[in-house]
Amino acid sequence: MQRRFLSSICATAGNSKTLNQGRWSVKQVKKSNFHVTLDKIRASIDSSDFIALSLQNTGSYAAAWHRVSAIDTPQTSYLKAKYAAERYQILQFALCPFSLQGSKLTVHPYNFHLFPRDELKCGMPSYSFSCQASRLTSMAREGFDFNTCIYEGISYLSRAQESASKFLSGNPILADPIAVSSSSPATVADTVFVGRIRSRVKNWRKSCVESSIKTGDDDLVSSLRRLVLGSEQYGSRLCLTIDVCSERQVQLILEMLTEFSEDVVPLLIASKSRGTQAVRTVFMSSKEDKDLFKRELQDLENKENRRVRGFREVIDLISSSQKPIISQNYLSDLTSIHAKFLGPLPANVDDFSSSLSSAFPNVVDLSQFMKEISPLSNISNLPAAMSSLNRFFAPVDVEVANQGSPVKLSESYQSHGQNAVMISQLFAKLRTIQKSDLSTEDFQALASDEHESSITSCSKNAGDENVKVWSKNSRRVSSENLVFIWGLAKKMTAANLKNALQKSHPVFAQEFDVKYLDKSCAIVVFWESGPSETFLSAVNNEEQLCGSLREMVAEGLRAAGYETYKKACRLGFWEADLAESLDKTLESSDTDPDTDSNPSEIDWSNDLAINFYEL
Amino acid sequence: MRRHKQWPLRPLLAYSFCSSAAERVSTSTAAAATAAFPLKHVTRSNFETTLNDLRALVKAADFVAIDLEMTGVTSAPWRDSLEFDRYDVRYLKVKDSAEKFAVVQFGVCPFRWDSRTQSFVSHPHNFFVFPRQELTFDPPAHEFLCQTTSMDFLAKYQFDFNTCIHEGISYLSRRQEEDASKRLETLYSEEGIDSSGETEDLKLVRLADVLFAERMKNMLNEWRTGLLHGGNVSSESPRISNGSTQSTETVFHHMRPALSLKGFTSHQLRVIISVLGKHFGDLVYLHSDDKSSCSQDFVVYTESESDKENLMKEAKDERKRVGERKIQSAIGFRQVIDLLASEKKLIVGHNCFLDIAHVYSKFVGPLPSTAEKFVASINSHFPYIVDTKILLNVNPMLHQRMKKSSTSLSSAFSSLCPQIEFSSRSSDSHLQQRLKIDVEVDNIRCSNWNAGGKHEAGYDAFMTGCIFAQACNHLGFDFTQHSQSDNLAHNEKLEKYINRLYLSWTRGDIIDLRTGHTNADNWRVSKFKYENIVLIWNFPRKLKAREIKECICKAFGSVSVISVYHIDDSAVFVLFKNSELVCDFLKLKRQLESSDGPVSVLHPLSKILEGGNTGAADYEAYKEICSSHISEILFSDQAETVGVKSRTRPDPQDETDRREESTVAVTHKASDLIDAFLANRVEVETATTN
Repeated sequence: MQRRFLSSICATAGNSKTLNQGRWSVKQVKKSNFHVTLDKIRASIDSSDFIALSLQNTGSYAAAWHRVSAIDTPQTSYLKAKYAAERYQILQFALCPFSLQGSKLTVHPYNFHLFPRDELKCGMPSYSFSCQASRLTSMAREGFDFNTCIYEGISYLSRAQESASKFLSGNPILADPIAVSSSSPATVADTVFVGRIRSRVKNWRKSCVESSIKTGDDDLVSSLRRLVLGSEQYGSRLCLTIDVCSERQVQLILEMLTEFSEDVVPLLIASKSRGTQAVRTVFMSSKEDKDLFKRELQDLENKENRRVRGFREVIDLISSSQKPIISQNYLSDLTSIHAKFLGPLPANVDDFSSSLSSAFPNVVDLSQFMKEISPLSNISNLPAAMSSLNRFFAPVDVEVANQGSPVKLSESYQSHGQNAVMISQLFAKLRTIQKSDLSTEDFQALASDEHESSITSCSKNAGDENVKVWSKNSRRVSSENLVFIWGLAKKMTAANLKNALQKSHPVFAQEFDVKYLDKSCAIVVFWESGPSETFLSAVNNEEQLCGSLREMVAEGLRAAGYETYKKACRLGFWEADLAESLDKTLESSDTDPDTDSNPSEIDWSNDLAINFYEL
Repeated sequence: MRRHKQWPLRPLLAYSFCSSAAERVSTSTAAAATAAFPLKHVTRSNFETTLNDLRALVKAADFVAIDLEMTGVTSAPWRDSLEFDRYDVRYLKVKDSAEKFAVVQFGVCPFRWDSRTQSFVSHPHNFFVFPRQELTFDPPAHEFLCQTTSMDFLAKYQFDFNTCIHEGISYLSRRQEEDASKRLETLYSEEGIDSSGETEDLKLVRLADVLFAERMKNMLNEWRTGLLHGGNVSSESPRISNGSTQSTETVFHHMRPALSLKGFTSHQLRVIISVLGKHFGDLVYLHSDDKSSCSQDFVVYTESESDKENLMKEAKDERKRVGERKIQSAIGFRQVIDLLASEKKLIVGHNCFLDIAHVYSKFVGPLPSTAEKFVASINSHFPYIVDTKILLNVNPMLHQRMKKSSTSLSSAFSSLCPQIEFSSRSSDSHLQQRLKIDVEVDNIRCSNWNAGGKHEAGYDAFMTGCIFAQACNHLGFDFTQHSQSDNLAHNEKLEKYINRLYLSWTRGDIIDLRTGHTNADNWRVSKFKYENIVLIWNFPRKLKAREIKECICKAFGSVSVISVYHIDDSAVFVLFKNSELVCDFLKLKRQLESSDGPVSVLHPLSKILEGGNTGAADYEAYKEICSSHISEILFSDQAETVGVKSRTRPDPQDETDRREESTVAVTHKASDLIDAFLANRVEVETATTN
């Protein structure tokens, strides 16, 4: 790995620092120093061109087949990532804004410790989360400090949660300007109700106007008047509280109050169990007073929001900067970020992509980028990916621009957040290689719209077939040609199973391949379309069943097409064994039309298929 | 690290066992006002030694108090104990909690009456437990849930998560152990077939492989001839590609000459195996996993075919032994549970039904599907369990003694055992009449400490034990009279309280672990007519309980609804006056949903049905929803996910028929889980009719 340490001092932040063993010093951010650091982070993001990020979650997948694999379409990959993103928790968020000039990479690494704290006691940001014991153990081995994380982690609320929490903070809320058109026709009761409230408000307002004119009254008289009129004060302003029993009444009152809009501002008082408890009308002495009042309320709300928002402030900074984001595990990282900081994940991948791009328009999937430069490299191990690029001459000088906290040898946790720096380094290297090697058409195309094209790695449609086949072992197969089989009477190796199948039915005279997806279920790949249907109908049709296939079916063999697999993912049957999930799916009578029913293509590659002996 | 903490040695000087009780109190009061509570912290590093000591302590003990710390209690807000939870539903909720959350700390505190000093001696142990996956051939990835509020609670009491995760003792339940052994068995019975099959499959296609194979063939041939002709075989073999990481070395493997292979990739090893198979009948490849070092690869020379077979068998047996040893060591903390079970000691807990459920699911096996089966099974493992919360609430004398203070663990401890909590005030003559309880950790005895704000399982177990001992004292149990052979569990004064636990403290439901009937005899009873309950979810969110009641009363008469109770924001229980109204309501709802006419818009119920997603079902559906292993945060989402939609559309027949019909429909439709649930329900029904 080529890495040169610069002794020059960076102009922006003034201090570059490196650790022993080639480790970068990363600014560790916790609850205590979060608000102090926020301005620096803003400056770092503003002065950078790209933002690398890397997450540490409490788990990745619960069972072998929950991992995104070669047989997944964008939709099933997304559903798998969604399932994981909703269950596991982000404990560390490493963020590294960086800029690249020539071979000089300037990085601003930060590492945030996160922990969801249910501060409002309402199940937000999260009621509970899952932990994979093995993941926690391996984190412990790397020296992760769980006490720091849980005692001092920064909490947060997603955008969706923040707007929901408005009603829970107990502060009065400015009523939204309502549409005049009433949703349902007014009943007699409504008319009576509105009439009653109108006269009450009229009387109260009249007294307010009088009292504001008659300033000569002494305190005793004005408080007596208040007592008699039953009017209260909100701050220094007069107000009237109208109790309501339903949201319908709130609607009616707000509609009615538009008549008094020039000097009466309605506020909604939330009840403990969601919904509105009362409408408070506040009397404004003047137009200026009204503007001032609204500003005051807005400030109060902003302050409260900032408090509950916590770490999401950083996400908002990234989002508003519109800078390209570099991620190593595009799908898992971005689904996690969406679920925790933006809002609930939508049901299908296209909605996800559009929702995501409204917050983060440019996301570069580093693994996709890596594949284009160095097709055979494995991105999952960052140091290995780096060294695989050594055959290219692409020097990158790294300079740490933000001052990390002073490093003591005893504090091993200082080293957390290295991954984001490595990602930025890898990205810089790839960019340098890409620019130096313009002979290939692909790279030229990539150079012209580099960032924008990369987002398609997730959202690419079933019809989009412009994906290269990278190795001799890999072929593109239509998902229609895949058959899942499970329920084998005895354990067989893939080779044995292939032999057994060859003898069982004439369709297997053609070329086909067999792989185990997990220990319970195997997949049969036909290279042509047609045989899969023949086989499926043979298994499910008693007359056609004969010979050893009949025997295998009698022993418990079951088979299903790709649709069943997609349905299992869609319905959320995430059992530990794929066989169990497919069984459940076949039993389920759910006949909702599949949103994504077109056959899609997958890359079939021997390298990518899961070998269950490795699990 | 806390586990390395040395407990103050000072008490050694202060106490000699012959000194009288009064003297000891006064000296210790002066000496150790700030000493921390002596607690034996146990992690995996000192587990084995502690376990040996604990065996003797438990054997000698009169009773053992336990307490658990978990990562959470409820997996969704509606999984909490609710007003309308029948005992079987309550069991399902406890089961869900025990299955989903992890135990992170386990307090075990044996208590023994010391007739010499006329006091109890307690030995509080605080075990850090973590479900680490120790077995590599044990595929199911272990996952557990953390409730954020519970984690916050633990953090508030400075729970050491690092010690727990880095150093916690792992465990296998009995069932997991059996499964692992079985898996080991199949792993080794198949091994022979597998490896032979694979070597045949390997064909040398790539040029590199062919060259490598040729080189290996030469090397092995040289080594073998050297061996046979008694030549001095060089121990190191630099012949193989100088400077590379690969090396071979002649060693002895089970009394046979062998070549140890180092630095080869798994693919290269496969090539070597195929070379051996083709060209060398008397050389055998062996792979061994040592428990200490990493794996090793050998080529072993065998003298004859029978020698070869012996070698293969030996190697296989050894690997199996290693596997078995691994399983044995993976049992870990369960050995403590096995100890408690085999000694059949009286187990004391405080409001401990959830604790016992955790013990069962973590250390015995999956929790049975019904409370009845659970009761039948738990008795064979822990025959005597006593709950101090029951004791304090049910015994009138103790109840009075508590002076209406809360029966939570800490407040019960301070009101029943002030002599222990505030040992500095023990000069008070009134307090001196109370029971004396000493703490002994690592053979150091001590009766004075500052408990501090700690909330650890070991200390909680100690408090529980103290409460129990003091309560027995108040009940007139004379410890000075009773001898070691007397079993507390068989004492008639306690008999009424043993094996009765609070299934739900808030509702006062008590489960009797002997018979399996809740609220047997004259225990407190809270009964609803569950068949009069309708569950409604996904109604317009802004509707409140009062409005829902009004709507239904408009349709069915002002006295038809007794009460409406929120499960959460998205669902309510409606308690009707009688079960006919339940049926009528569900029928009417169905009619309104199927017709689009003006009647359905103007109908009073339309307010509840607005939006078209409102679901409703009877109480059995609630049980079904609770039995699901899914936990959505909102009850309405849960109901939709579990798929009890079918119940909202009852057949227009009479009540009993409808039940059966919908039952069948569900069986056809829904998941295995529901099947399992229904099977159990049938059993329950037959049990109740008998």
